[in-house]
Amino acid sequence: MTTVLVANRGEVACRILSTVRKMGLRGVAVFSDADIDAPFVRLADAAMRIGPPAAAESYLDIEAVIGAAKELGADLIHPGYGFLSEDAGFAQACEQAGLIFVGPSAEVLRLMGNKDEAKRVAESAGVPVLAGYAGRDQGDDAFVRAAMEIGFPLIVKPVAGGGGKGMAVVNSADALPYSLQGARRVAQAAFADDRLMIEKFLLDPKHVEVQVLADGYGNVVHLGERDCSAQRRHQKILEETPAVSIDGETRTTLTDSAVALARVVGYRNAGTCEFLVSDGTVAFMEMNARLQVEHPVTELVTGLDLVEMQLRIATNETLPLTQEQVSFNGHAIEVRLYAEDPSQDFLPQAGTIHHLRFPDGVRVDSGIEEGSRITTHYDPMIAKLIVHAASRVEALEKLSAALDDVEVLGIATNATFLSGFIAIEELARGTVTTSTVDTLPALVVPAAYADEVLCLAAAAEANHLADVQSIDPWGNAGAWRLGGRAPIEVIVRPVGAETEELSIMVSGQGPYRVGTTTIARVEGCHSWTLDDESASVARGVGRWYVWWNKCAYEVLIGHQTRTLDASTASHLMAPMPGQVLAIRVEAKERVSKGQELVVVEAMKMEHSIKAPFDGVVKAVLCAVGESVSKGKVLVDLETD
Amino acid sequence: MAPILPTLFEPNSEAAGTNRQAMHRMVEDLQLQIATAAKGGSDKSRDRHVSRGKLLPRQRVERLLDPATSFLEFSQLAANGMYDDASPGAGIITGLGRVSGTECVIVCNDATVKGGTYFPMTVKKHLRAQQIALDNGLPCIYLVDSGGAFLPLQDEVFPDKEHFGRIFFNQARMSALGIPQIAAVLGSCTAGGAYVPAMSDESVIVKEQGTIFLGGPPLVKAATGEDVTDEELGGADVHARTSGVVDHYALDDTHALAIVRDIVATLNRSKQLPDGMREAEPPKYDPAEIYAITPPDSRTPYDVKEIIARIVDGSRFHEFKALYGETLVCGFAHIEGFPVGIIANNGILFSESALKGAHFIELCDQRRTPIVFLQNISGFMVGREYEAGGIAKDGAKLVTAVSCASVPKFTVIIGGSFGAGNYGMCGRAYEPRLLFMWPNARISVMGGEQAASVLATVKGGFEDADAEERFKAPIRSRYEVEGHPYHSTARLWDDGVIDPIDTRQVLALGISAAYNRPFVQGRFGVFRM
Repeated sequence: MTTVLVANRGEVACRILSTVRKMGLRGVAVFSDADIDAPFVRLADAAMRIGPPAAAESYLDIEAVIGAAKELGADLIHPGYGFLSEDAGFAQACEQAGLIFVGPSAEVLRLMGNKDEAKRVAESAGVPVLAGYAGRDQGDDAFVRAAMEIGFPLIVKPVAGGGGKGMAVVNSADALPYSLQGARRVAQAAFADDRLMIEKFLLDPKHVEVQVLADGYGNVVHLGERDCSAQRRHQKILEETPAVSIDGETRTTLTDSAVALARVVGYRNAGTCEFLVSDGTVAFMEMNARLQVEHPVTELVTGLDLVEMQLRIATNETLPLTQEQVSFNGHAIEVRLYAEDPSQDFLPQAGTIHHLRFPDGVRVDSGIEEGSRITTHYDPMIAKLIVHAASRVEALEKLSAALDDVEVLGIATNATFLSGFIAIEELARGTVTTSTVDTLPALVVPAAYADEVLCLAAAAEANHLADVQSIDPWGNAGAWRLGGRAPIEVIVRPVGAETEELSIMVSGQGPYRVGTTTIARVEGCHSWTLDDESASVARGVGRWYVWWNKCAYEVLIGHQTRTLDASTASHLMAPMPGQVLAIRVEAKERVSKGQELVVVEAMKMEHSIKAPFDGVVKAVLCAVGESVSKGKVLVDLETD
Repeated sequence: MAPILPTLFEPNSEAAGTNRQAMHRMVEDLQLQIATAAKGGSDKSRDRHVSRGKLLPRQRVERLLDPATSFLEFSQLAANGMYDDASPGAGIITGLGRVSGTECVIVCNDATVKGGTYFPMTVKKHLRAQQIALDNGLPCIYLVDSGGAFLPLQDEVFPDKEHFGRIFFNQARMSALGIPQIAAVLGSCTAGGAYVPAMSDESVIVKEQGTIFLGGPPLVKAATGEDVTDEELGGADVHARTSGVVDHYALDDTHALAIVRDIVATLNRSKQLPDGMREAEPPKYDPAEIYAITPPDSRTPYDVKEIIARIVDGSRFHEFKALYGETLVCGFAHIEGFPVGIIANNGILFSESALKGAHFIELCDQRRTPIVFLQNISGFMVGREYEAGGIAKDGAKLVTAVSCASVPKFTVIIGGSFGAGNYGMCGRAYEPRLLFMWPNARISVMGGEQAASVLATVKGGFEDADAEERFKAPIRSRYEVEGHPYHSTARLWDDGVIDPIDTRQVLALGISAAYNRPFVQGRFGVFRM
């Protein structure tokens, strides 16, 4: 039996393993310590630990991966995307170890990995490209000279790698050296290669890419294009096929270019040629010699399983279909659900997913589950939602409904942002460009904390307390009192207004009434209803997460922790017996925390009496030269 | 496992209906009385208390306890009907609760009742709570807000052995035994009261609210002419920064209570549960049926095993000597998982029943098993035959066994508690860890009817039956009043009157608390053979 090792993790590992299983092959996995409980590990027929959480010591460790592959009896290695998927050295190592690398040859990888060289090859194949520089001279001066010729704005990017890492747009020659410096650092860290290139930067372009399949026998087909213009920080968040805003001529240019390039380099595998399209200008950017994150939209309209195609090509089968046999049906859209905070410039979030609900009736590719931790070691993607419908309008409607059914608690996500984004006019009109997201007004307005939400959190806490206290007769009967039960008091504080303590008395086991609202617990650990509308709750440390009415809320539980320091003392006293050396303030004077008020000399030491808080001097109760005893009040201070 | 008790209870019988109705009325009245007392002081006085930013005493207790856990309050009707009802609940809340996972005794002054001053029953209730803490080895938490002794009754609260001074004696002695004493000064702590925090192991005071002084400003003015405010004399800043009388400075009540919880969390105590623990199991029969089983008049006989079946885990009962001395039911069972020996009256005590009871107490003592007494007893059998048979020495054996048993004892008076029966069945004098009464219970040296008859016989020479009846009626009614559980509980002859349905939980909590102190094996006195 053929064994396929997935040299990846998370969502893509699950995706590959499911095809492997479907094809009747054996699927095995490798994992880092951070993923020991991950779903993809359980999905695999066998799995092996390859190192600590840091990717460099696990998923990027070629020796460890190859070693595991041998140990697990693998015949093929599928690298997924990211990690080692475009690493020529890895492809070579696989070959040397007698394993089949699911991808193009090391040579092609090396070529495509060098963006500048890839560009030159593309140019030679008649593919339109952008002006740029990626010379051997990597000095700042060389880049500045080239930049003058190319013109601004331009983009700096690492020669190696991809995924938007290390990329920066530069508008002037002055800013270039600084950007180069940053990009080098990122490139070195991410790809162990600090070589950079610069390229003319198209303002407001659309990002359109073409999916190709090529076997080892010179057969190449394209599977249409994908519009991936919706990006933030150079990372895609929504992808669709077909692209609606390009005309037939442009489409032909793109697909012909992609096929021509694949042919000229002797490509073998699934691959993607990325282009920028702006005002009729088409420019080749790069070819991703691997499976793409957004491959599912292509799968849904073509009915093909791209992973299956990859595996068949890798095992020397010929392409099972010709270009004419490729059919395109309907419209497909994918959105990426990320653990990131749209209100903080999409800052990636780390934490535990306490509650997770995906919509039914659409394709969901995910590698996490309830209880999973999103760590800072890897990509913070939670899932991809992919919809397919006869028309784009219907697909968008379906996507909107699907997003409404997403519930993630415990970590900030872009779910609400995505719901807002798919409703913007530019998307409906098909005019989204790569800069649209950055120029959008805030789509996510923090939801106000309705009383119902606070009460729901309180009810959930009270129920939880009753559960956890059941360890002895004191807890078994809840808040038992002679002759009845006491209500359980829960103090809640909405996040964002943590100093507002609200006391909510929860009586009985529910359903609860709050004003005219009924709050009830439903079978199942996270399910509640608010007036028959479903709501979900999950408990975090000292807090409850609530999902209600398409919004996530976070409610802190309990009083604020109050610590006492000297700041509560308004009578500032002499710390030891001594003499007043200096008085720095007068009555009625406003002082700030830490400001020196009085200096007392004692035991040959100068003691500075400082304001413990911002306030106003009520009275100065000593005089310069005065001998003071320990504890004598020197200054009376009051808060504003 | 012990067999499940059978039941002959018929819920639809006429007697059941009558009983149920009667008990319902009694429990309703009980709850009304308790609710009234629980309010504490007048609305005006409570409003004033709250307007100062203070939590009401019951809120203080609630915020101190582990959330969603039980609280076993003691003597909710203390001082009920006394002092012209000027001291509801005797102005103090006491009880047993779990704080930071540790079982504690809580003593909380109610400043809305006469400024939290100590009436004679307040002192008694405070001392009783300390006794419970001492018996069971439970940390004491004092939430202090009191003006000290109620001066108009000073001769009844100050000088005697079991008066005010005993509070501090107890604190010192308990501290010496390693039983933590913790005080939170949430209001006044005047004169003798000042010693509550001062005698504590660790204490907290609330800023601009708690005060501690031996003599208040008026007394200082009178004594030395010095003008001084409460705060200057004994406020939080004085005691937390200068005098060192308290250890922790809190910003308000809630903060103080949080600090107390933190203190308890540092106590580092351990509790040894018995090997005979089992998974708790509710009774097989509905405890609510106790209403319909219990006749309102303690003279009406019924089978006490029907009650046991509605208190113990799974209604399982390993009965001891079922065929001997049947008027005293003895046997082993579990309550909320705790192993217990149960001794319950099923009629008048004969020699055999007394001997059986003494034997069973020895068994419980040997097996380190707490004993639960379900008391419904009109007394020992009287008459020439029985006296000659030595019922006095057999009764004495039972009393000796009850007195000397070294395992925790718990008494619930579920019916009559008359005469020497009270002794043999572990009445208040026999130091049960806790003693509770049902609202239908009666307690007196003998029944009202018997007392009237005895006194009438002693007096003699009545002209006619009417005259005798005129003599007896006031005696009967006096016994009815004085034998009533409200009269008893007001004077702290018990730890409270409870709804019979709560019996199982009350016992479970009491037994659980008892394991905070090892049962030190003792010796029995001479059994007269």
